Amino acid sequence: MENRVELRNISKSFGGIAALENVTLKVKPGEIHALMGENGAGKSTLMKILSGAYTKDAGQIFIDGREIFIRNTYDSKKLGIGIIYQEFSLVPELSVAENVLLNQLNITGIWMKWGQMKKKTEEIFQSIGFSINPSVKACTLSVAEQQIVEIAKALSERVKVLILDEPSAVLGPQEIQKLFDTLKKLKNEGVGIIYISHHLNEIFQIADRITVLKDGSSSESLLISETDRNSIIKLMLGRSLDTMFPVNHSIIGEEVLRVVDIVPENQSKGISLTLRVGEIVGIAGLVGSGRSETVRAIFGADRQKKGQIFLSGKELHFRSPRRAVMEGIGMVPEDRKQHGVILSLSVKHNISLTDYKGISNPFGFLHLKKEHKNSTGLIERLQIKMENENQEVGKLSGGNQQKVVLAKWLNRECKVLIIDEPTRGVDVGAKVEIYNLINELSHKGVAILVVSSETSELMGICDRILVMRKGQIQGELSKKEFSEEIILRLSIGENKNLTELVC
Amino acid sequence: MKSIKMSMNFKRYLQFVVKYNTVLIFLIMLLVSAIVSDVFFTSSNLFNLIRQVTPVGIISMGMLLVILTGGIDLSVGSVVAMSGVLCALFTQTMPLPLAITAALASGLLVGSLSGYLVSIHKMAPFIATLALMSIVRGIGFIASKGAPILVAEEASALTDFGSGNTMGIPNPALILFLVFAITSVILRYNVFGRIVIAIGSNEEAVRLSGIKVSVFKFCVYAITGSLSAVAGIITTARTAVGSPVMGVGMELDVIATVVIGGASLSGGKGSAINTLLGVLILGMIGNIMNLLIIPSYLQQIIKGLIIIAAVLLQRFQTKNN
Repeated sequence: MENRVELRNISKSFGGIAALENVTLKVKPGEIHALMGENGAGKSTLMKILSGAYTKDAGQIFIDGREIFIRNTYDSKKLGIGIIYQEFSLVPELSVAENVLLNQLNITGIWMKWGQMKKKTEEIFQSIGFSINPSVKACTLSVAEQQIVEIAKALSERVKVLILDEPSAVLGPQEIQKLFDTLKKLKNEGVGIIYISHHLNEIFQIADRITVLKDGSSSESLLISETDRNSIIKLMLGRSLDTMFPVNHSIIGEEVLRVVDIVPENQSKGISLTLRVGEIVGIAGLVGSGRSETVRAIFGADRQKKGQIFLSGKELHFRSPRRAVMEGIGMVPEDRKQHGVILSLSVKHNISLTDYKGISNPFGFLHLKKEHKNSTGLIERLQIKMENENQEVGKLSGGNQQKVVLAKWLNRECKVLIIDEPTRGVDVGAKVEIYNLINELSHKGVAILVVSSETSELMGICDRILVMRKGQIQGELSKKEFSEEIILRLSIGENKNLTELVC
Repeated sequence: MKSIKMSMNFKRYLQFVVKYNTVLIFLIMLLVSAIVSDVFFTSSNLFNLIRQVTPVGIISMGMLLVILTGGIDLSVGSVVAMSGVLCALFTQTMPLPLAITAALASGLLVGSLSGYLVSIHKMAPFIATLALMSIVRGIGFIASKGAPILVAEEASALTDFGSGNTMGIPNPALILFLVFAITSVILRYNVFGRIVIAIGSNEEAVRLSGIKVSVFKFCVYAITGSLSAVAGIITTARTAVGSPVMGVGMELDVIATVVIGGASLSGGKGSAINTLLGVLILGMIGNIMNLLIIPSYLQQIIKGLIIIAAVLLQRFQTKNN
């Protein structure tokens, strides 16, 4: 049987640096083929070559045994290759239907036939088991819903090969299951699926075979049924990973942050929580449970309707992040690219953002040498990998970008650090480094509030876990009580049937 | 392999051209000007050129700051008129230093109003400054009762300054140079400049880093208003007249110089030196065409074409990066 798609001996360099060297990937029809590797290993580059966003320097590509040439994304689409990128490409001000049918708007003639478009969009959504109103603007959707629209968009045309780049990064467990159901349907239709993900659990659930990329080279493809987690991690890192999570002997002190009845902007009920010196508290919950809204309200990023915040006993009111930062609170936001870093500025400049006082004179003139020393120190401490210190943050990998955000906050002596999704889109190696950093900070006395959708992550690093649902804290678990099942049950409302859940 | 090497060298050459495109356009213009007219490189012509570009040049430094934050200020031409009129008017009744201060204050006030609307009320800069452009022009007409106002005899120090030289350089040019130097230093070495550029790149990320973005946005408009007043006073000093129709359409010339200088209208990109080169380039276009006695409508067309060429070259730059 011919491979649905085969990439043979693909090489690609950027400015003299080889991103891919003789990479081979073979996907059979009706196979879900996982592609794993650390950030910078070349996964995105390889997929962009397949999707037409980049052109290969050397190698051949075959579809169903026939050699093909892809010059641009149009060629790629015509050949039946669909791709769902990590970064969304929806047009915010257009409706969902227009976004889904973006490449086919001319099929109805010069005048757009709304009725037809809406119907077709609804059909596509039905076939994948979701329901989203086709008439609303794409910008009004939640991140998870936008991801689903992206999937619908890729499926609106018949595909032979479907590439998914970290699709589950923003989806909750229900949505991931539905995604998997869709993928299984596509499997039955003979579509070759390439699934890129950092989540081993998912890969073991859904994939048939796996290929690992490391430093631009590909491994042999392995059958999932004949391998295990450790072997894969070894292939990715070149070493085995016995413990992902550092051993945490926390030294917990007095109360440092007390939040009483804070009502975030679009909610109606108040939330209260406390945090102690050196404590790591996790907030679990499904997408849309109000976790990010809550921590943003604490940080002053959004208006809070009422409620009180006490920092070391002192009552404070935050109308903007400025006051919170002055008082020693920092926040690593959920959306790293839009809110966490300034992509067009250098690593150095990004780090300096939080503390200009320390590197300038009273008139505001910068001590460039001091800034350099300061940022170099942090870059080394966090092992941020980049070509040179003046490189734009936008060119770094996800894991390194996240380290830049953390470096920014380490630049100040924070009392409380809020981290929203510490390792989203971050490769395994960097994840471990980030967990170690969080641990180190807590030993220094920083109180840390971690929001995460990865239950195992929270259980691995936290002292306490709060579970939120629909804007309220449903329950609190101490370290002894940690259990994935209990957390899941609390997230979905213990007494409700799993299938009764709102999308 | 050889073809890859050749194309890489060509690419590097192209990148150089694109990165320094403003400087190159400037040098080309100098060359063309020298070839085309033997009067161009005379000191009287060059001084004339510098005197002509000074008002636009001074305002362009402020406009650069505004554009760096991702905003725009359409009211500058009207402020030039209003402040020129007020200056001339006040010289009739007040001692010169007071008249100048009052005129400056008027520009500061207008800029502050724009800044307030944009930063606190989150109004779109285009709309806020468009409205002020209209209002301020009206104020200029009311204050002058529609007719130009002569600078008072007692305030001859002003007109002497406006048309005089210091060490061979026209006085207004010294002010332009001072404003340019301060802007350049601030953008490169001062926290204010850094934050202004950061805001234009990603305002939300700056806000979430604990910086009070509204303060900076307010300031850049206040600065621009003040610089527009400086330009208005200088123009009045040069012509000895404060006229309510000064500066009509000047905002577009100022914006053009900033854009030719490589700044991005969406913010976050631009430099003082390149803006200054943009000012000189725009000035040279007008100057050369005057020397060649090219009618002014043709000048408009050529000006527009050069602006398009400059912006296209810059698109190339961001694409290749």
